[in-house]
Amino acid sequence: MGARRFAVGEYLGFAPALILYGAFFAVPLSIVVAYSFWKVRDYNVVHEWTIDNYRYFFSVPTYVRTMWATVWVAVLSTALTIAVAFPFAYWLVRHVPRRLQRTLLVLVILPFWTSYLLRVYSWLNILGPSGAINRFLQWTHVTSSPVSFFLYDRPAVVLVLVYLYFPFAALTLYASLERFDWDQFKAAMDLGARPATAMRKILLPQIRPGITTAVIFVFIPILGEYLAPQLVGGTRGIMIGNLIVNFFSGAEYTRGAAASLLIAALIVVLLVVFRRSLEIKDPYASGR
Amino acid sequence: MSVYERGITRGDLLKAGGAGALGLVAARPAFAGLARAESTTLNWLTWSDHYANDQLKAVAKSIGIQGRPTLFSDNADAYLKIKRTGSQFDIVSGDALWVPKYHKDGLTESFDLSALPVSKQLFSIARSFPFWQDGSHYMGYPFSWSTVQIYYNPKYVTTKPDSWHALLDKKYQGKISLENIPTDVMAIAARATGAKKPYSMTTAEISKAKDFLKAFKPNVLKLASQNNEVVRALADGSAWIGITNLGTDDRVKDAGGPVIKTAYPKEGTIGFIDSEQMVKASKNKAVFEKFINTTEQAPWIAQNFLTNGRPLFNEKAWKMLVNQGHGDRAKRLLYNQPQKALKMTIKGPAGNEQAYVDAFNEALGA
Repeated sequence: MGARRFAVGEYLGFAPALILYGAFFAVPLSIVVAYSFWKVRDYNVVHEWTIDNYRYFFSVPTYVRTMWATVWVAVLSTALTIAVAFPFAYWLVRHVPRRLQRTLLVLVILPFWTSYLLRVYSWLNILGPSGAINRFLQWTHVTSSPVSFFLYDRPAVVLVLVYLYFPFAALTLYASLERFDWDQFKAAMDLGARPATAMRKILLPQIRPGITTAVIFVFIPILGEYLAPQLVGGTRGIMIGNLIVNFFSGAEYTRGAAASLLIAALIVVLLVVFRRSLEIKDPYASGR
Repeated sequence: MSVYERGITRGDLLKAGGAGALGLVAARPAFAGLARAESTTLNWLTWSDHYANDQLKAVAKSIGIQGRPTLFSDNADAYLKIKRTGSQFDIVSGDALWVPKYHKDGLTESFDLSALPVSKQLFSIARSFPFWQDGSHYMGYPFSWSTVQIYYNPKYVTTKPDSWHALLDKKYQGKISLENIPTDVMAIAARATGAKKPYSMTTAEISKAKDFLKAFKPNVLKLASQNNEVVRALADGSAWIGITNLGTDDRVKDAGGPVIKTAYPKEGTIGFIDSEQMVKASKNKAVFEKFINTTEQAPWIAQNFLTNGRPLFNEKAWKMLVNQGHGDRAKRLLYNQPQKALKMTIKGPAGNEQAYVDAFNEALGA
C-alpha cells in the first residue's frame, strides 16, 4: 500500500509536464495530422478523409525540388555555423582568462535582446545596394556602382542563417569544451601525437554529444525557416517554409498541414540518427 | 521574532495565493463594471493603413470607445479569423467582393448607412456600390480604394511598360518586386493572359496564368510580405519595377528614393475597394456606428491620405485637401475620380482558392 502511494507521488511530479505537452503539443499535433487528411472546400475544412494532400506534394516537382533546396541550405548553413562557432569556442576555453569568458559569452547572446525580425532586417542595410558592404566597395573604388550580388539570393540566406544561429552553436560547443579534460590532450601530445591527431582522436570523440547537440539546435530550426528567406532571399532563395506559409495565408490548411508534417517527419528521422551520436560508449573505439 | 525572521512555509504561501486569487475573482465584476463605465473597447481586425494611433487616442478621448487594431495580411486570413474566433472581433476590414462573402456566410451584419451622419461626407458613388447592397442596408462602410499598377524607375526602364507582358523582358531579370498575395498575383496573371473572370478562372485559364508566372519568375526579385518592402526595393534601386498600389511613387520619394513613374497595363488591372464591416457575433454592435461616425470624419481621412497616399471615399476630405494645397497630389492619385474604382477588376475570393494557391506555388517555388 505504502509502495503504491509512493508510485502515485512520483507520477504527480510528471503531471504538469504531461498536461502541458498533452494539451499544447500532442493534441494540436493530432489536429494537424487530422487536417492533413481532410479537404478544403470554399474556405471550409471538410472532414472527408483523403491522402490527396500528400499525393499532391509528391506529384509536383516544385515541392520536391524546394524541399531538397531547403535541406541543402540547412546542411550548408549548419556546417558553416559549426565551422565558425567551433574555433571561437575553442579559443574562448583555451586562450581567454576565465573572468573574460563570461563577458564574451554575454556578448555572444547579446543579439537575443533584440527581436528576430530586427536582426534579419539589419542585414538588408548591410547587404543592400546602399548598404555598408556596397558603400565600402565604392569608397575603396573596387566597384563604381552598387553590386546586387549580396542580396536576394541563396548566399544571402545562408549568411543570415549562420549569423542567426551562431550563438546556439557557440554556447553549446563552449559548454562541451569547457568540461573536457585538457590533460588528456596534453598526454596525447606528450606521447607524440600531432595537434591535429590529438584533436581528431582525443578531443572530437569526447565532445561529440556537444557537436551533435549544436547541429540539432541549428539544423532543425533552419528546416522550418521562412522569414529570413522571405526578407533576404528573394524568389531565388525560397525555402519550403515559404510555400507552406502561402498555403496557410490562402486558407489551404489541409495542404499546409500535410507539408508541415512531412518536414516534421524528416526532423524525427534526423533526430533518431542524431540520437545515436549522443550515446558515447567507447569514445576511443578501442573495441573493448 | 520579527516578521522577517519567521519565514514563510509552503502552506502559508499556498493559502495566501489562494486567498489572493479568490479575492481577484470576486472583485473582477466590480472592476469590469468600472472599466465598462469608462470606455468600450472595439477589437478591430484591419490593415495598418486604416487608422493612426493619434486618431484612435483622440476618438477614445472624445466618445469613450477605444479601437484596438489587430493586423492581418490577406483577406482570406481575416475571413478565417472571423469565422473561427466568433465574438473576439467587433469590426473587420474587407475588400470589395469579400464583403458580400462575409455577409452571405453570416459573419457580418449590414446596417443603415444613411443613419450615419458621416456617410453624407462620402462620394455618392461610394454609397451605392451594387455589390454591397443588402436591401435598404449596406454591408460595409466605404473607406479607400486603389488600382494595382506598374511603377518603374525611368533611369533603368527606358520604354514605358504598358503591358503585363512587357514585364517578361529578360532585361528585367531579378528587378521586379510585388507583394506575396497568391490570389491577387494569379488574378494579375489572369488579366495578362486574357481570362474573363480573373478571380474565377477555369482550369485551362489557371494553367495559362501559371505558365505566365513561370515565365515571369526569373524577373521577380522578391515577393514582399508588406508593401513597404516593395517601396524599399524601389527606393534603394534593387528593384526597377514594382507592381503595387497608387501612391507608391510618393512613398518611394519620401523614402529618399528616385523618381518613379506609373504605367497602366493595357490588358487592365486589379484593385481594391476597402470597407469596415460590423461583425455579427460582436457584443458591441450598439457602438459600431458611433465609432465609425467619429473615426471616419473628414480631417482624419485627409490626414490618412497624406500619410498613405491612395484615394479614399470621403469627398469632404478631398475638398479639405484641395483647400490645404494638396489638390494636385490628390488629383494625381485619382482621389476625385472614385468611379474609376469600378473600372478595374475588384478583389474578391477566388472561385477555386486551392487551385490558385497550388498554381502560384508551383510557378514560384524553387
